[in-house]
Amino acid sequence: MTNAAILLAVSLCSVDFDTDVLPVLTRAGCNAGACHGAAAGRGGFKLSLFGGDPAADYRAIVQDLEGRRVNLARPERSLLLLKPTWELDHEGGQRFETDSAQAALLLQWIQSGAPRTAGPASSGTQPRIAGPASSGTPRRLSGLSVEPAQIAVDALPATVSLAVTARFSDGSSRPVEDTAVFTPADSASTDVDSRGRVKVLRPGRHAIVVRYLTDVVAVQITAPHPNQPQDLSSQLRNNWIDDQINATLAALRLPPSPRAEDAALLRRATLDLTGRLPTSERIRTFLADRSAGKFPGEVDRLLASPEFAEYWTYKFARWLRIRTGPNDAAGTKVFHAWLRKQIETGRPIDQWIAELITAQGDSHEHGPANFHRSAGDARGEAEYVTESLLGIRLRCANCHNHPLDRWTQDDYHGLAAIFARLERGQVVSLKTSGDVIHPVSGEAAVPRIPGERFLPPADDNLAALAGWITSSQNRRFAKAQVNRLWHSLFGRGLIEPIDDLRDTNPASHPELLDRLADELVARQYDLRQILRLMADSAAYQRSSRPLPEAQSDDRFYSHALTRPLAPEVLLDAVCDALGVPAEFGEARQELPPGVRAIGLYSPHLATEALGPLTGCSNIKQCSATGDSSVSLDDLAVQLHWINGRLVNSRLGDSWHALAKLAYGHEPTGNLIEEYYLRTLSRLPTDQEQTFWRSQLGSESRAERCIDFAWSLLSCREFVTNH
Amino acid sequence: MASNSFRRCDGVTRRDFVRVGSLTAFGVGLAHCFTHSAQAAASVKAKRCILIWLDGGPSHLETFDLKPDAPQEVRGPLLPIATSVPGIQICESFPGLAKRIQHTAIVRSLTSPLGEHNLGTHYLLTGYPPTSALAYPAIGSVVAHLDPETRTLPKHVAVPDFGVGGQRISGNGYLPKAVRPFEVGGNPARADFRVQDLDFFPGLDSERIDRRRQYIEALDRLSRGVEVDGTRSVPTTKPLEQAYRLIASPEAKAAFDLSKESTETRAKYGPRTIGQSTLLARRLIEAGVPFVTVTYPGWDTHQNLYTQLKEGYTGAKVPVGLIPSLDLALSALIDDLVDRNLLDETLIVVMGEFGRTPKLNTQGGRDHWPRVFSVLLAGGGVPGGQVIGASDATGESPKDRPVTPADLAATIFTLLGIDPQQLLHTADGRPVHISRDGKVVKELLG
Repeated sequence: MTNAAILLAVSLCSVDFDTDVLPVLTRAGCNAGACHGAAAGRGGFKLSLFGGDPAADYRAIVQDLEGRRVNLARPERSLLLLKPTWELDHEGGQRFETDSAQAALLLQWIQSGAPRTAGPASSGTQPRIAGPASSGTPRRLSGLSVEPAQIAVDALPATVSLAVTARFSDGSSRPVEDTAVFTPADSASTDVDSRGRVKVLRPGRHAIVVRYLTDVVAVQITAPHPNQPQDLSSQLRNNWIDDQINATLAALRLPPSPRAEDAALLRRATLDLTGRLPTSERIRTFLADRSAGKFPGEVDRLLASPEFAEYWTYKFARWLRIRTGPNDAAGTKVFHAWLRKQIETGRPIDQWIAELITAQGDSHEHGPANFHRSAGDARGEAEYVTESLLGIRLRCANCHNHPLDRWTQDDYHGLAAIFARLERGQVVSLKTSGDVIHPVSGEAAVPRIPGERFLPPADDNLAALAGWITSSQNRRFAKAQVNRLWHSLFGRGLIEPIDDLRDTNPASHPELLDRLADELVARQYDLRQILRLMADSAAYQRSSRPLPEAQSDDRFYSHALTRPLAPEVLLDAVCDALGVPAEFGEARQELPPGVRAIGLYSPHLATEALGPLTGCSNIKQCSATGDSSVSLDDLAVQLHWINGRLVNSRLGDSWHALAKLAYGHEPTGNLIEEYYLRTLSRLPTDQEQTFWRSQLGSESRAERCIDFAWSLLSCREFVTNH
Repeated sequence: MASNSFRRCDGVTRRDFVRVGSLTAFGVGLAHCFTHSAQAAASVKAKRCILIWLDGGPSHLETFDLKPDAPQEVRGPLLPIATSVPGIQICESFPGLAKRIQHTAIVRSLTSPLGEHNLGTHYLLTGYPPTSALAYPAIGSVVAHLDPETRTLPKHVAVPDFGVGGQRISGNGYLPKAVRPFEVGGNPARADFRVQDLDFFPGLDSERIDRRRQYIEALDRLSRGVEVDGTRSVPTTKPLEQAYRLIASPEAKAAFDLSKESTETRAKYGPRTIGQSTLLARRLIEAGVPFVTVTYPGWDTHQNLYTQLKEGYTGAKVPVGLIPSLDLALSALIDDLVDRNLLDETLIVVMGEFGRTPKLNTQGGRDHWPRVFSVLLAGGGVPGGQVIGASDATGESPKDRPVTPADLAATIFTLLGIDPQQLLHTADGRPVHISRDGKVVKELLG
C-alpha cells in the first residue's frame, strides 16, 4: 500500500475525474451492481455501473447533494472520503483506509477543486467552483494493454506479474496496476492479488480479466501438465488447423491420440455431416477401399448428399430457434422449406442471413418473413437477433451498460428501435412509426448499429442492419458462425458457451478462431468448404481414446470428444438400425410419410415420440444454443430405454430388419456381423463374435437376438458419437 | 427482530404446544420455554429436505414481508394478517400457514446482486454465483452425492420436473450426472398421473429384462478399448444399475403412487399441481429420498400480480392463485410431518431466485428485485416462530442482518449435517468447497 501511495503521489501532479477518480471507485467496488452501480443506486446515491457514464457520475458526486459528497471548503469532511473510510457509518463497510493511497488521491482531487478535467493550472490556483474546467474535453481512456499479453509457464506453481498500461486521449500513458481490477476466470486455477501478481496453480489454459475504467483485457495463461515435453512439429498435420492445435498440445504437454480406425472415422463423419449412421454397405465399401484419399473422398460425398442438406437445415433451424405452436404451423413450414433451399443450393450464409433480416411480407407464403415473428416485440428481437446471429448476449444492456462487454444502453435500445416499426402479424411489414423508449432519456431511442453509429429514425434501417451484421468487417458474425460449425464437428466450441462471444470470454485457441473466421470470409461464407477444412484436419480424425497422460483433457483436442447424440438423431438412428420409419404419434397426420425426426419443421412435433429424451417441447424450453443435453445418464431416460416405448415398441415389430435376421436362417456369424454394422457401424472383434455365438446358439434364439439388438441400441457406443 | 424462543412460546397456543411436543423425542414436559433451547442444543440434524422452488421470483412484498404502512405503490393490493406468533404478519392469502407460523422461520433480508432468472436461480440453488469456468451442483445434488446409503429410490427427485431458470441448470454441475435430479414428469394433479416407465413394457418379463441387462453390461465390457473413451466422458453404469433396482422393487415404486393416499389427504393438499406435487414429495421423503425439489412455476409476476398471486382468475369467488394454492400445500405438509413425528428431521425450504421491485409497475406487476427478498424455512431443527433480518421501510434493501444466497446454502448444508467447508472434487480432480463464502446463519440452527 505504501508503494502504491508513493506511486500515485508521484505520478499524479494533477488529478482528474474520469481517468483518476473513477478507477479508484471502481476498484473499491463502489459502482458495482450490488452497490451504487445498481439501476436504482443505493442509499440515495447512484453511480453508473463500473463508471460507464462519467458525466452522470460527476454530477452525482460533485453537484448533487449541494457540496456534501464533495466539500470544497473542508475537503477532508467530504462524504466521498468519510463513507468509504468508514469514518461515517456506511452500509458497504470500509472500502479503504483513511491513510491509504486511494483516500489520498480523492483528497488531492477535492483539494484541487474537484475538476472534471485536470487542467495544467489547476494544481496551483484552486478554483472554488467545481465544474468542467474550461480547458477542453475530459481526458478519455484510449487504450489498455497488459504485458505479457500471453503467458506460458514451465512448471507449477508459478508466479507472474502483469504490467497494465493505460493510454489516454491526451497522448499520455501510465501504469495502472494499482487501480486496475484483476479477476481470474477460474479462481481454483489461478490466484491474482491486487497488484496483478498471478499465481498459476493448475495445468491448462486460463484467463485473467483485467478491467480499467471501461476497458477490459483478457490475459491468457498456459501451464503444462506434468508430462514429458514432446516435439509434435513433424507429425499429425493435415492442414493449418493442426498448427495451433498441435502447438497448444505441445505447450500443455498433452500427447495426441493416434488416428481413429476407419470404421470409427466413417461413423463420426457421417453422423457429424448428415446426422445419420453409415449403412452396412457403405461401411463395407469404405473398409474395402485401400486408397489413400478415401476419407477426404467420403467427406466430399457426404457434403454433396441430400442428407447433408436435411441435417444442416435442422442444425440451422435450431440455432435460429425455428419452432411453432400447434396453431401456426403454416408459417413455420414455409420458413423451414425456405431454409432447406438455402442449404441445399449452397447459398452463402451471409447472403441468406441478410435476406432474413430485411424480409417482409406474408409469413404464410414468404418463408424468411417468419424470422421477425420469432420474437414478440422489438426488444425481444434485438436480443434474439444478436444471440442467434452473432452469439452476443445483449440483454444486460437493457438496464445498464454491459459490464463485461462493450455494449451500452444506447446500443440495446437503438437496435430495438430498428425493429420497433415492424408489424408482426401474419403479414410482416414496416409501419411508418413505432419506437421504443430509452429508459435513461425517457424519450424514443434513436435507431443504432450497436457499437457503431446512429441511424436516421425515418429510414428503413433493416438493410443497414443486415449490411452491418453480415459485413466481412464484422468479426463477430464470422466468428460466431465458425465457432458453431467447429462445435458441431468437435463437440466443443473454441469459445464456450457458443452463444457468449465477448472479449472477456477468450477462445481456447484464439489464432485458430481468427484464421477460421478469415477463411469463412475468403471462401464466400460457404458452409461446405469450411466443414471440409475442419474434417480434413488431423485433429478431427483422432481416436476418441485418450492416451493416459491426456485423460483429463476435455478442450484441447488431444483426442476426439465423446458426445451424446442429439435426441432427434438418436431416434432416427434407432429407426435406421431397425429399418423402420419414425412415428410421431398425434403429430403424424400433418407430416409427409417417412419423415425423419431431424426433418421435422418444428421440434414440438417430436415431443411425443421422444418422451423423456425431448430437449424442448411446448412445456420445456429449448436451450438457447439449440443443443440438448439429454443423455442416457439420466435415470428417467434410462428407465424409458428399458421399459418405455421408444425402443421397445419398435423392437417388438417382427418385420424390422434385425427381427427378420433373428427369425430367418442366416448363419449366426453373419447375423452378429450385420447387427454390429447396423448399430455400432463396425465389425465385431473376434472376442465379441465368440461371446455372442455362445449366447445365441441355444434355445429361444430369436428372443435372444431381439435382446441382443436391444442391448446394441442401448450401449454407450451406440448412443454417442465418438 | 431477533431470534428468541420466548417469542415463540408467547405466541404458541396450547393446542399447538401439544403438537410441537409430540414431534420431538423429548416431547414430555414441554411446559416451559427453556426446554426448546435445551433440545435444540442437542443439535438434532435434519435428515432430509423438501425444497419448494417458487420459480420466477416471488414478491417478498406480497408473501412474507408486507409493508402496510408504505405508500400505495409500494404496499400493493394484498393485506397482511396476524399469525400464531404475535408480531409476525404475513400475507392474507396464507390463512393456513398463518396458523402454523410457530413452525417456521422467515428470513426477510436475503440479498443478491443477480436480477436475471438464470443467474439468480443458479446462485440460490447452488450457493455460488454462476461463472463460465465451472458449473456448480444444486444443493440437492450435493446432498445426493454425499449420501452414503445405497438406495433404490433416486436421491434427488424433482416433482414434477427441474424446469428451473429456463432449463439452463443441469443440477449436477461438476458432479457426476448420476446425481442429477430425477424428474418424475407429468402432472401429479391429473387423475391419470403415474410416473412413467417404472413397469415392464408389455411382452417383457423379469427374465428378459435381466438378460438384457447382462447383454448391455457385456457390450460395454467388450467394447472397452474399441473406440469409446472409457474414462471420463463415459460415466459408470450407475444409472443403469439404479434403473434396474428401481424396476425390481414394488416398495420403491409405491412411493411414486399417489393413488395410495386417501381422498381426504389428497384434498387437504389442494387439487392443483403444487398441492399434489407436495404430497408426492412427502411420500418420497417418507420412503427415504434425502432431497426433493418441488418446482412451482409462475412467480414472475410482471403484470396483474393481484390476479396471479391471489385470485387465480379475475373475479374468483374462492381465491385459487399462486399463494392460496401454496398455502394449502404447505399447511398440509407441515401438519402431516408433525403428525408423523417427521418435522424435526425434515427441513422445508420455500424460496425463489429473487424478490420483486418495491414499486408496482404500470401493469399492476412488479419486476425483478434481488437486493432484498424473503425465504421461509421450517422443520429440520430450525427454531420456529422467528423472523430473521429485516428489509427497510419500502422493502428495497436489507435494513439489518443481510444474508446472501451463499450464507443460506451454507446454513442449509449445516442443518443437513454437511460441513460447508468440506471439499468436493470435479471430474479432473480439482478441489471445490461445498460452500466457499457462505457464513452460517446461526439463528436458524437453534
